[in-house]
Amino acid sequence: MAHHADAKRALDERGYKGQLVRGDNPLKLFEKPVRDRIVDSYYWKEQCFGLNAATLLDRATELSFVGGTYGVAQRPTPFLCLAFKLLQIVPDKEIILFYLEQEEYKYLRVLAAFYIRLAWEKDEEVYATLEPYLTDSRKLKRRTREGWALTYVDDFIDDLLLKSRVCATTLPKINPRLFLEDEDRLEPRISALGGELEELDGEDEEEDESNGEVEEVNGPVNGREHEADGSDEEMVGG
Amino acid sequence: MADHKGAYGASSSNDTSFRKTWDRSEYAAKAADRDQKIKEEGKARYQATLEGKKYHRRASTPEDTKDTEARSARLNVADKVGKTQIIVAGAGQGKRGKSAGFYCEACDLTYKDNLQFVEHLNSRQHLVATGESGEVRRAALEEVKDRFEYLKRKREEEKAREVVDLTSRIEVARDQEEREREEKRRKRNEKRRKTKDGLGVQEIKVENDGVIC
Repeated sequence: MAHHADAKRALDERGYKGQLVRGDNPLKLFEKPVRDRIVDSYYWKEQCFGLNAATLLDRATELSFVGGTYGVAQRPTPFLCLAFKLLQIVPDKEIILFYLEQEEYKYLRVLAAFYIRLAWEKDEEVYATLEPYLTDSRKLKRRTREGWALTYVDDFIDDLLLKSRVCATTLPKINPRLFLEDEDRLEPRISALGGELEELDGEDEEEDESNGEVEEVNGPVNGREHEADGSDEEMVGG
Repeated sequence: MADHKGAYGASSSNDTSFRKTWDRSEYAAKAADRDQKIKEEGKARYQATLEGKKYHRRASTPEDTKDTEARSARLNVADKVGKTQIIVAGAGQGKRGKSAGFYCEACDLTYKDNLQFVEHLNSRQHLVATGESGEVRRAALEEVKDRFEYLKRKREEEKAREVVDLTSRIEVARDQEEREREEKRRKRNEKRRKTKDGLGVQEIKVENDGVIC
């Protein structure tokens, strides 16, 4: 068993004979302009040539930020290039889970989470695999279109599950959690906050009684506010 | 009756024993192999016509090709910055031959920028010239785990070397210097041993080291 050293053959329009994800070439999960930019980038040509699931670790452990494309030229980040490489080689499920479960390298974990959200086809599996990491509150550096932003592992995973566009990529459609719960495909999630959440709700109700208004509690479980940063929402122009 | 003997005194009874004896099983295996190959090719030919394509026999891969592997280090594209290099006039024609720039020894080509050079290193031409197949071996989970452990260990070692305390930093620096000196001494001795009478290469001292002042 072997795979090609680069993505030239896999991106050839004249037919793709490899593993399929959602019935199509997995590389097509990235949009055409992003794909072209990745293949043209120096990082891809120099660092991503001939990687397999083991040697990919060399590069992934050196990652120091996440992100999609940056700068006026919309250059792809190493994070995006490595995600693209993962889509090209389609590693076994156990390998991806190993990437996700290891503790030392947070960027490797996030990379695996991004791959899982893109390539795994069963919604309930994606939720069940990624949700345990909503307790991981390590910091991540994120490169935006112009400049840098701070985010967290749990925040990033929350984005993966809720947003439709992350890191210059339109994520495949995923059913909302409530829908899956209604269909009995997923158990209701137990928050890591446990009793605290109910206490918070209780306080709210008390306030509600006094105010006579109903307020919804938004935001991620750990109560941290979402940073308003719409850089991922930007469309990638051709 | 007397014992059987050939006209030339051969001890064995039949006189055709000088002929080559054939290993029948070996040739039977060879024939079966050939039949199998023909059958497979016929099948592929048939499949191709069914798909409305023309069958082309694939050129056989040389036996000593090795799998392509990831680069172990970054390409050092800046190592010649600030250095002077003498190029023979008319040494390179176009990209061919060695001239100023990034030189690929396997293909005897010179590129003027690193992007072209790295593209060449990834190209089919270069892979064939270096005897690589252009295919990468798939890694198993065990391999991934081993690699991860190795990287973890390496990082920890690097971290251990990184010390903030002044005295230990001096210690580390002294160790390093000693090691370098040892290496230099070893090289010098080697050089001395190589020359004929063990005198070593005599350095010719030039006044002012050739600097015109």
